[in-house]
Amino acid sequence: MELTTPGVATLRRDLDQTARDAETADVALAASGDGRAFERLYQTHVARIYSLARRMTGEDHADDLTQDVFVRAWTKLATFRAEAAFGTWLHRLAVNVILARRTTLGTERGRYDDSEGALDGVSSRPHAPELSLDFEEAIGRLPDGARQVFVLHDIEGYRHEEIADLLGIVPGTSKSQLHHARMALRRHLE
Amino acid sequence: MSDTWTNRLSEYVDGDLPERDRATLEAHLPTCAECRATLDELRRVVARAQTLDDRSPTADLWPAIARHVGVVSLDARRARRRLSFTVPQLAAAAVVLALLSGASAWLLLRRPDAGPPSQSTTTPTPILTNAGTYEANPRYAAAVANLERVLAQGRGRLDTATVRVIAKNLGIIDRAIRDAQSALAADPANSYLNLHLAQEMRRKLELLRQAAALAGAQT
Repeated sequence: MELTTPGVATLRRDLDQTARDAETADVALAASGDGRAFERLYQTHVARIYSLARRMTGEDHADDLTQDVFVRAWTKLATFRAEAAFGTWLHRLAVNVILARRTTLGTERGRYDDSEGALDGVSSRPHAPELSLDFEEAIGRLPDGARQVFVLHDIEGYRHEEIADLLGIVPGTSKSQLHHARMALRRHLE
Repeated sequence: MSDTWTNRLSEYVDGDLPERDRATLEAHLPTCAECRATLDELRRVVARAQTLDDRSPTADLWPAIARHVGVVSLDARRARRRLSFTVPQLAAAAVVLALLSGASAWLLLRRPDAGPPSQSTTTPTPILTNAGTYEANPRYAAAVANLERVLAQGRGRLDTATVRVIAKNLGIIDRAIRDAQSALAADPANSYLNLHLAQEMRRKLELLRQAAALAGAQT
């Protein structure tokens, strides 16, 4: 380390890079057991993970799933490799935790109906303002399959091949579910 | 809507439609107002999905997570008396700890008949990993290198006295790390030395992180 050697004092501040460096340090610290570093990682990423859980499973289970994701992340930190950003790794872990829970949740809620008819409840709602759903609520009312494909594809940016792999379906089904979800949601554009 | 193209419009929006079908659909669109309207709505849905805001849970989930993973929760820390330290103060504390730890290691190694301290006299620190593993971790090396680079870039924004204190204290911690490594080379199975090395390495990372944050915060 050359702290005593004159450096370039006029370098522009690079906040993004500094944030990435700080996160890299926090990941290393957390992997060594530093709870405060892990808390900083939690604070940085909780909104994204919670929103993913809420959109994929609904408000009732989002807190529980978010906790599960971070507990799992803590136990798996040693397996994180720096080839990907920590946020990407955490997000992938979150999707796996959420999807692993989806069958149970679907059974509990009795709403694992992915038929096209199940979309009618979303798409044919009246247009009167007092009865209209906002976009987020409309996503929450989609049948599980269509909602998960829509969230993963249109919000989270997964490709159909990846979604098919995650959900155990074929890419054609993923495309079809996505289209039906979009057709239902277009009625709820603000 | 019963248009034969309706169910292909999402594929068209995503650029997934085969070339031949795309050309046919593009020839169809100028003649079909319904398809054009649906296409526009689908595009707006896609655009809307990409602008949704993430929001945090209404309840603070960290205390429960902290309990699960066995670390001190935010609430517990808030309940404590709040103290704040400057970087030089933290650095000084790090140096004192490093010197104390180094002296302990030196005393331990100086006694030829002294073995590793028994479990009953060692404060258990279960959250620390084995120092050998920690040292070999490429992320540790990368994190240190990144922070050193940030600090080197931002040193011009720090007060020279602060830079001097940081450099001096990092030097002391580095010496403690080297001493621990030398001692471990002679006694690799010594659990105390492994623990000591891991603590020093973590201390270095923490000091670098705080110093880099300070350098980045100066304007």
